[in-house]
Amino acid sequence: MTRKLAILVVLLAVMSTLVVPSSPAQAQDGEPVTVTWFIGLGAGGQPEHQAAQNAVVEQFNAEHDDIELELVVADFDVSRDTLSTLIASGDAPDIIGPVGIGGSNDYAGTFLDLQPIIDELDYDLSRWNPSLIEFYRDPVEGLTALPFATYPSFLFFNRDLFDAAGVDYPPQTFGEPYADGDEWNVDKLREVSMLLTLDANGNNATSADFDPQNIVQFGFAPQWWGDDIRSAVTSPFGAGTFYNAETGEAYMPDNWREGIKWIYAGWHDDHFMPNYDYQQSDMLLAGNVFNSNNVAMAYSHLWYTCCLLDVPNWDIAVVPSYEGEYTAKMHADTFRILEYTEHPVEAFQVLDYLVAGPAMPALLEAYAATPADEVYLQPFLDNLDETFTQGVNWDVVLESANYPDNPNHESWLPNYSEAVVAIQNWSLHMQATPGLDVDAEIDNLLATLQPIFDAAAE
Amino acid sequence: MSVADQTQNMAAPAGRTLFGRLTVHQTRVFWGWVFLSPWIIGFLAFYLAPMVASLVFTFTDLQLTKPDEVQFVGLANYRTLLKDQYVGKSLKVTLSYMLIALPISIIIPLALATLLNSKNLWGRRLFRTLFYMPYMVPIISVTYIFNGFLNAQSGWLNRFLDILGISGPNWLYNSTWIYPALLMIGIWGTGNAMLTLLASMQTVPTELYEAARVDGAGPVTVFSKITLPLITPMIFYNLILATIALFRYFDIPYILSRGTGGPNDITLFFNIYFYRVAFEYDRMGYGATLAWLMFVVALVVTIFLFVTARKWVYYAGGSD
Repeated sequence: MTRKLAILVVLLAVMSTLVVPSSPAQAQDGEPVTVTWFIGLGAGGQPEHQAAQNAVVEQFNAEHDDIELELVVADFDVSRDTLSTLIASGDAPDIIGPVGIGGSNDYAGTFLDLQPIIDELDYDLSRWNPSLIEFYRDPVEGLTALPFATYPSFLFFNRDLFDAAGVDYPPQTFGEPYADGDEWNVDKLREVSMLLTLDANGNNATSADFDPQNIVQFGFAPQWWGDDIRSAVTSPFGAGTFYNAETGEAYMPDNWREGIKWIYAGWHDDHFMPNYDYQQSDMLLAGNVFNSNNVAMAYSHLWYTCCLLDVPNWDIAVVPSYEGEYTAKMHADTFRILEYTEHPVEAFQVLDYLVAGPAMPALLEAYAATPADEVYLQPFLDNLDETFTQGVNWDVVLESANYPDNPNHESWLPNYSEAVVAIQNWSLHMQATPGLDVDAEIDNLLATLQPIFDAAAE
Repeated sequence: MSVADQTQNMAAPAGRTLFGRLTVHQTRVFWGWVFLSPWIIGFLAFYLAPMVASLVFTFTDLQLTKPDEVQFVGLANYRTLLKDQYVGKSLKVTLSYMLIALPISIIIPLALATLLNSKNLWGRRLFRTLFYMPYMVPIISVTYIFNGFLNAQSGWLNRFLDILGISGPNWLYNSTWIYPALLMIGIWGTGNAMLTLLASMQTVPTELYEAARVDGAGPVTVFSKITLPLITPMIFYNLILATIALFRYFDIPYILSRGTGGPNDITLFFNIYFYRVAFEYDRMGYGATLAWLMFVVALVVTIFLFVTARKWVYYAGGSD
């Protein structure tokens, strides 16, 4: 019996070696070090992105004998789970990105401080605006990234829908009034949006005969706002955060409180913004609302040029002001090295190749991102002009970059993932449910957030 | 030496046994284990080991993103479980929906199977195919299709109700209507249960029906006294499958509510909450505790069903 058991155990062991994959081979002397680059947390998942990324990897590997760059691409929807699993299983990638501020928050505390390597290599940071370098410097973690891409935000508008409604286009310069001489502010945006919101009978949202149950065209929508009210309200109502770092309390800035009331009315009373059902409808392509040609204006970032496939005649305009102030919220993507890397210097070499080396122009073009390195700015915009031949005023992009939100709308919150889920649930609830007392609902949100923040403190 | 031993030795000369040392019987046992070993390895590696690991996780504060910082926390996760308001809420949602959905998941396929078993129905084969086909469509696709179909503004269902002069409800974001919407989607996939029940009905001996008719039994009596008792094993089988499926219910409400469990947490099924805790909040230790709670609850309910089955499931060859 013992013999049988021994044979069985040996057999199982032998077979196990056949079915269980062996550990990745360690680099031997003279062999290239493998650096893995994880993509999926932000841009990078679209087919045109992947072609550019593959080309970068090929080029890098052809130019380097000492480093082998490998791609790991995950679909955006599962990218967090995939990356978390890779980290937990001891197969953490060396570099992740492009990833935005919000995406990075999920992994706060796991990024490599680049400063020691920069000091060791005497790496030149002068190509970037010092304020951008400081943007990525964390008091605890150190310098966790180098600038790569920024995505200013602005209004996309459909010229054809404006022309059909006989409504003037929005301004394309900060400080410029609307065509009728009125200030281009949130009230004017509401007014223009209502004129552009039409029901099936052709009545606009200012008409007494307007039928909100049969809307066929909307005046305005936050485009892909991630079900996160922070994203919808920041532009145009100004920067803010739900967390008061001094007191540790959940709170609602006054500008956001007013902005949320404006948005809620836009969904349910003024009807110029698609509520939950309309946003999910086929008429608005179940989410890509501006691309449906049934939304006259959408607020988004430069990266949205990725997905404007069916609107032939669009242009961009500046964000309206709120109490005389402009806020064009900013997205910023970059690449980060995880602290788990076994080859920090080689990973930094790859990082440099991506954010400042030969790969940068091609990747920026693929991601439709504004270069953080200003040398590349004009060629980048020229390229966009060749792609979108209807004539887009790209100066709006450059000007909008001067009005970023600070604090950023995706800035860190205690217990970030849990807090964001609570905010998203609340945001969807507001978008889907008419007849609510907005102030009371805001109080409910704060009451939900407070224990989440408190738990982080514990 | 017995006849059996003699036979064994005759059939297996020493030179033809494994390593020249094992008897035929031992060789057979050996090769039996060899052929079983892929399954055994798979079970150990992919079922037992993860289960044991997840049980160990319940005593830790494991976060996937920070595996190096894992600490033993004793029973802290179990204490959190008792205080967590969402545990009770999500269990209540799961069990409430189960109470509604379980009877429907049996009654509707049973009714369809009865209908399709009728000799008076024209085009039975066509209908069997048509009713089964939806089961073959991936549930994700079905859910997205229903998401459009049930949309309050542009969905076909409400458009159809409009024609009838009825103002359709907000199927997907209204606490009253979301369960009917989920049930509608569930009924779409009853083809498999229908098919197994139909197959079971067709195994009922025809002489029983003939004898009943000779005795003057009507269709209702025949169904309730003969068909139904004889297909109870298959009903029980489908009941168990449906129960387990409902404990694993995730995809449909997750897609429809975009993971929020809305409206007002009424679709916050236990698995959605578990997924949120383990993967969105990255609290894998507590997530594992939630998973074990669900395992225990599902086990208790399943045992309860098996115990009660003794009273209503008829096995022609005995209960074994």
